[in-house]
Order: sequence, then structure tokens, then C-alpha cells
Amino acid sequence: MFQPRRTRTAAFIAISALSVGALTGCAANSTSSAGGDNQLEITSWWTSGSEADALQVLIDAVKKADPGLEVENAAVSGGGGANARQALAARLQASAPPDAWQLHPAGQLASYVSGNQVADISDLWADNDWAANLPEDVASAQQVDGKYYTVPVGVHRGNVLWTSPTVLEAAGVTLDPSAGVDQFVEDMQTVAASGTTAVCLGDKDVFASAELLESIIMARVGSDNWNALFTGDYSFDAPEVQQALADYKTLLGLANSDHSALTWDEAAKNVGAGKCGVTLMGDWAYGELVNAGYEPKTDFAWSAFPGETDIFDYVGDGFSIPATNIPNAEAAKVWLETVMDPEVQTAFAAVKGSIPARTDADVSSLSEYQQSAVESFTTADIVSSLAHGQVTTAEFSQTYADAVSTFNGDGSIDAFIATMTAAQKNQL
Amino acid sequence: MPSLTRTGTAAPTRGRTGASAGDPAAGTTAPHTQKPQRKLRHHGVATSRRAAWIFAPSLLVSLIFVYIFIGTTVYISLSNWKIGTTQDLSLRTPVGATYTELFAEQRFQADMRNIIVFTVLFLLLSIGGGLVWALLIHHVAAGRGFFRTVFLLPYALSFIVTGVAWRWIFAPSTGVNEILRAIGIENPPGWTTDTTILGALNEPGADLKIQLGIPIALLPIIFAAGWQLTGFAMAMYLSGLAAIPEEHLEAASVDGASTWQRLRYIVIPQLWPATITCFVLLLHVALKIFDLVVAMSGSGPGFVTDVPGIYIYNYLSSRYDKASAMAIVLLVLTLCVIVPYLIRGYRREKQS
Repeated sequence: MFQPRRTRTAAFIAISALSVGALTGCAANSTSSAGGDNQLEITSWWTSGSEADALQVLIDAVKKADPGLEVENAAVSGGGGANARQALAARLQASAPPDAWQLHPAGQLASYVSGNQVADISDLWADNDWAANLPEDVASAQQVDGKYYTVPVGVHRGNVLWTSPTVLEAAGVTLDPSAGVDQFVEDMQTVAASGTTAVCLGDKDVFASAELLESIIMARVGSDNWNALFTGDYSFDAPEVQQALADYKTLLGLANSDHSALTWDEAAKNVGAGKCGVTLMGDWAYGELVNAGYEPKTDFAWSAFPGETDIFDYVGDGFSIPATNIPNAEAAKVWLETVMDPEVQTAFAAVKGSIPARTDADVSSLSEYQQSAVESFTTADIVSSLAHGQVTTAEFSQTYADAVSTFNGDGSIDAFIATMTAAQKNQL
Repeated sequence: MPSLTRTGTAAPTRGRTGASAGDPAAGTTAPHTQKPQRKLRHHGVATSRRAAWIFAPSLLVSLIFVYIFIGTTVYISLSNWKIGTTQDLSLRTPVGATYTELFAEQRFQADMRNIIVFTVLFLLLSIGGGLVWALLIHHVAAGRGFFRTVFLLPYALSFIVTGVAWRWIFAPSTGVNEILRAIGIENPPGWTTDTTILGALNEPGADLKIQLGIPIALLPIIFAAGWQLTGFAMAMYLSGLAAIPEEHLEAASVDGASTWQRLRYIVIPQLWPATITCFVLLLHVALKIFDLVVAMSGSGPGFVTDVPGIYIYNYLSSRYDKASAMAIVLLVLTLCVIVPYLIRGYRREKQS
């Protein structure tokens, strides 16, 4: 019955080794997959219907550009990209990056640059002369300290009002995008007086109200001051910002009272169904409305958020490649060049609902909304979004999101401004 | 420690099992069924050394994955590490500034209020509810198995799944409010969207930026969590009830004890171990709550439904130090409850 002690000890060691091995095996999730040598792995947060289809357009294009290339789509869903960014962060920390990953330019890009995780691709930009075919503001958003680190594949607009023509007509209101914020607030009060909810809002995820507030602030302070807010040259304490908060508070009072229980897409669909006058949302709402069966121009219409000048709230999608440990540098280069191809950008935009970043892309095949956005894109002042963490650091963006949540609860303008001016002092 | 000695002698049997797969007897016999035939051995130096070997892997694993990680988290919470992917291990000055910053935040204060209110009410609801269901099921002969399954079933579901369903039930414009309106309540509560604090103790000020009290918005979430875990407490109590000797109850009846007296002086005291187990296990569920809140309401206006779990998640990529500090605060909260319980347990063991 008894075995020599040595065997038993050996067995214990073997078992311990096995269990430890099993644990580390889980942690070091291997990245290899079956197939040839020429592989390309892309991470993104494009997993839902139209987004996944749009990503497939890019993947098909890169396969055409490099026949024999195997593309691994490592998209992670949820949290407006937060989950994908967490997954990417873990891989970057483990020095096992994908060949390319999706990101927003400017502020979000800067955090990868400061960690030396993203490759300088200025040479690639110079070789292909991309800057010549992009609006200046967009090209500069792809840089940190004068060097290019990312390429813009598509452009979304954050400050779009989606309107219900029937509700506005019944209230006798016509929105004029150039009439300014005061007129807009007045119009909304008219709609409310007509007996319909004026503003649809779905801020269960707080970015929806953060985006509404940022649109008002932009309209009140103008594009130069907006950018100066994030260099500390213009204070959140300015009277224009205070006025914007007062406007926001008024609009919040005119919104559906259950706004914190709804998501942005539910709010958008309520506009399509004629339950309220307007909702503010980025132009990804367009695809959501169309997919829900609402007819553009009849069930819903759109307008840029009213302001003194036309401001384009830029929410950009782009790709970067890792600075070190890149698995397949050649394929990554082909990927970047592919997504910057004007024809590919048009095909991508057609599915995604965004617009091409390149001004030389042929947009005649795109929807009426997209064509109007393209027109605005070439003429308006382009600024980056704060609600989407694009214009500045992730920390400042999170502070802003928290301040908006707090404001939604207590409505205290003073507390909001105190938080934001302190953040300007400590975080910029 | 009786459990330790048992494992100490039993485990070598298991070790042999691993070494000699060809011996069918060793593979099938459980340690205590073969106890009668087994020759009793003294716990000398050899066995305790063997015991040390057996515990080495688990000790090593818990040392690394629990204690060293806790230490690392404490260190990070004192450092300048901001962006999750950009490591910065220099210490922040003054030491502990991140905690000062944290404690001053309206969001943090709301989180502390919420998690304490949530934990207390949720524990009362699920443990109390579990006891009631268990007593009913134990004493009702018909359909016992059926009801046991019905109450235990929610426990098998994910919080995300039930959270989505409860979100719709408590949606202010539809759901349960339709029923309330139908029975004549004109202004039903806004549930998770309501920013009212019940029994508010103070007005928000410069230091304490929140109102202390019970946020109405938390009540639906507490109810949903209680609904889901009452079945778990019920199962614990049912096994506790089955272990109460019939003789005790019969003797009490003979002495003329009423039903209430039997419950109060015989049943409930004997269920105390089950209560403690429920309390400790459900406390963890309560303090770590994340998915149910995310599915039902998110942070809510003015953070009325925010909890530390969501806070940590939000700040993970932008303020690694602050997220770590919040994790440590959560750990301290747990320790505040668990440590007294452990001390009591050790004292008792020593006495016996």
C-alpha cells in the first residue's frame, strides 16, 4: 500500500507544478493562431451591426491589396470602446500588441504617445502626402508634438440635432442653425408649450448629456476658446461657459424626466416616433434611426447645433501601430495605406454612416445627411470632442463626465465650475 | 484546529492516488470511509513536514495572488501612476494625496453612502427573506421541491440578465408605474431616475458634498439584488433547519412552548451558523456589486446609484492610482466587518 517516500514527494511536486502551470497558462493567453506567416491582427470596438460591416469593408480591402494576407479581427465590444481599450492596455503591458488598433486621435492618441506605445509614422505620411488631402485641423489632430502617430479613416460629427419634423411643425418652430443658442432655447420652450416634450435625452451612459453640454459650450464660446479651455488659456469660469450651463439646465428641464433610465439610442428612436422635438447625438444616430425603420426627411430630420458660427464637433476614428514588438510590420503598413485610400474611405463611410476624412474622396454615392456633413466638414471650424475623450487627456475627460453627472443631480453651476477650474489647474 | 488536522492526514491518501493510478482501491475510497480499517498514526515531525509540502503550493499562490497583489495595489494608490498603460511608480507627494483627493470628491462620498445603504438593506432583505421562505418551505409539506427550485432559480442567473429585466420593470414611463397609475397613483416614483434622498440628515456643504440618507434610486436595485439572492439564503437556512434535531422541538412542545417560542428559543439560535455564513458570503456580493447596477441604472444623476465598483472601472484607464485607492477603501470596508468576525472565531477555537 505504501510507496517509497521519494515517489510520493515527486508526485506532490508534479501536482504543484501542474497547478501553477495551469494558472500561468491562463494568464499568458497565447496570441498564436493556425495559418500562414503573413498575418495581420486588428483590434477595435466595432462589433455591432453596421460597425462590424464597416470593419469588414476595410478587411476585404486590405486582403485585396495584399493577397494571401490572413486578417484576424480581434474586436472587443461594449462600453463605447472602454472595454476594448482595457483589453488593449493589458496586451500592451504584456508587450504582446496587435499589428494595429483603433483609437480616437488627439488626446487619446497622446496618452499612447506618452507611454511610447505607438509608432511614429511621419515618414509614411510624407511618402503618401496625406496631409495635402485632409483639412488642416484634422491633420493636426493626428499629430503629437509635430509628429504623426495615427491615420484618420473616418469622421463622425458629435453636435447634430436630430429633429422630428411633425413635432416642430405642430409647434410652429423652424430651427435655424445660424440663429444662435438663445433662439434655440426659446424654440424649445415653444415646443414644450405646445404640449410635447421638447428634448429627448437618454443619458444612462452619461456621455449623452456630456455631449449636449459640450455642444452648448462650443456654440457659446467659439472654436478658438474651446481649444483654449484645454491649454488653460481660457477658463471654465468665463461668463460664456456659465451661460452655457444655464442653457443646459433649461434644456434639461425641458427633457423627458426619465432621461437617466434611457440609453441614447432609445432617445433617438423616440424622436423618430415623434414623441419629442429634438435630440442631440453624434451622427451614428443616423444609422440607428434608419435601421429602426424611420425615413430620413419625413420621420426625422437634422440640423447642426445652432451657434454663431458653424462648428464641427469632430469624433474621429483612426488606426495606429505599435512602436515595439510589432508582429508583422509590413502588413501593418499595408493596412494603414489601405484605410487611407479615398475609395476605401468612401466604401467604409457608406456602411458606417460617418464621412471620409480625405477631402478628395468621392462622396456622391453617400446619403443626403452624409453629403451635408461633408459640406460642413470642409467649411466649418473643426474642434475635437471632450465627451469622447478626444480633445484632451483621459483624466480630464473623466473629470468632465463626473462633473456632468453631478450637475445632472444637483444642478449647481458653481460646483461644476469649481470642479472644472480646479481640473484646469491640476490636470493640464 | 480540527479541520487542519483532518486534511493533514487525509491528503497523503490523495497524494498516493495521484502517484499510483493503477491501484483502484486508492482511487475510489474516500478518506473517512476507510477510517475504521486505517491504522492510526501519530502526528510526528514527518507528517507535519508532509503537511507543509501539501500546503506549499496553495500558500505560495495565495501569497503571490492575494497578499503581494494587495501590497502592490496599496503602493500604486500612493504613486503617480495615472494612465493605465504608462507605468509611473514614483511616490506622490505629500504621501497619501490621492486619498485626500478621493475623500473630497462628491462622487466618492456618494459611493460610500450608496454602498453602505445598499449593503445594510440588501443583507436585511435577503437574509430575512431567506429565513421566511425557508421556514415556510420546511413546514409546508406540499410542493416543497417545487418552491425550493422556484426560489433558488434566480440565483443561477447572471446579474446582467436579471438587471436588464429589472431595468424595464422599474422604467419610470413603463413597467411597474403603469400598474401604479392604473390603480390611481398619479405621480408614481421615478425609481432609478429619482434623486431624492429619503430621511436626509443634512444639507450638502463644502466638505460633505452629499446628503446622507437613503437614495430612492437605490431601492429598486436593492430589491432586485434581494430577489436574486434570497434563494441562496433560503438554501442555507433549509440545510440548517434539517440539522435541528426533532427531539429538541418535541421536548419543547411537551413543555408547552408555543410555536413562536419554539422558533425564537430553539430554531433561530440553532440557525445562527447559517446566518453567519449567509452574512459573510452575501456581504461580499454587496460590496463588490457592479454588474447589476451597470445593467439597471449606471451611475445615475448626481451619482445616486453609483457604487465603488463602477468608480474603479471608470478610472482604471485614466487614473490608475485613484482606482487603486478606491479598491483599497473597498478592502478596508470588507475588513471592518470580517476581521471582528475572524477574531471572535479564533477566540472561540482557543477556548475549546
